Amino acid sequence: MVYVISWDDFVERSVQLFRTSPQKSRYVMKYRHSDGKLVLKVTDDKECLKFKTDQAQDAKKMEKLNNIFFTLMARGPETDITEVTGKEQTAQPAKRGRGRKQ
Amino acid sequence: MVRLQLDPFLNELTSMFEHTTEKGSVWVTLKHSSDKSKVQRNKITTAGKELEYKCLVRATDGKKNISTLVGTKDHQRFQASYATILKARMTSLKKREKKDKRKAADVVVDKKLPKTTKAMDVDKKQQVPVKRSSTANP
Repeated sequence: MVYVISWDDFVERSVQLFRTSPQKSRYVMKYRHSDGKLVLKVTDDKECLKFKTDQAQDAKKMEKLNNIFFTLMARGPETDITEVTGKEQTAQPAKRGRGRKQ
Repeated sequence: MVRLQLDPFLNELTSMFEHTTEKGSVWVTLKHSSDKSKVQRNKITTAGKELEYKCLVRATDGKKNISTLVGTKDHQRFQASYATILKARMTSLKKREKKDKRKAADVVVDKKLPKTTKAMDVDKKQQVPVKRSSTANP
């Protein structure tokens, strides 16, 4: 298993992997409360990237990664993910539009 | 594999985390999927229509399997709820020990700095009378 040491490296490579093969890639998260360990895996069944941690600060970083993956997977791999703030900006006008229709 | 709606899925996920507090793991998998078979996908693409993609979320505690599909419109809401569950449940991870150590180190360094500047001032004061005496001689 390929364990990546740097968080930023893991994020960059996993997004790249997803963009290369969106049909096959999956993002797996395993959490063990008894051991206090969190393991993340991104794979397209050819290449595999893993990240393990026991730090609470990494859980916060993982949330941001979750947001990235949710956006990529729900909207499409070509979506521009200019981090979380970018997504919020794109979401707000859509919500306003709904309000007017109502 | 039980396919649920968004909110029941979130409730089941919460109960999974509760059950695995003492022993066991929770696996959550995210995958990009259109929820259609290859045949249906080919039909749609040949007809020229765009394929609607969703995010398939699966969760298991080793015994029970649950899943749900998150569409483009729901993903913001699901994302927020999912983040809340994780934050509330992932409490056994270690807090920032390294940063606390760094803070302690910084405090020690700060205490040292004023002492060194004071020492320098003392040296300067000592040097001044020496210079005066040297100029007075000739």
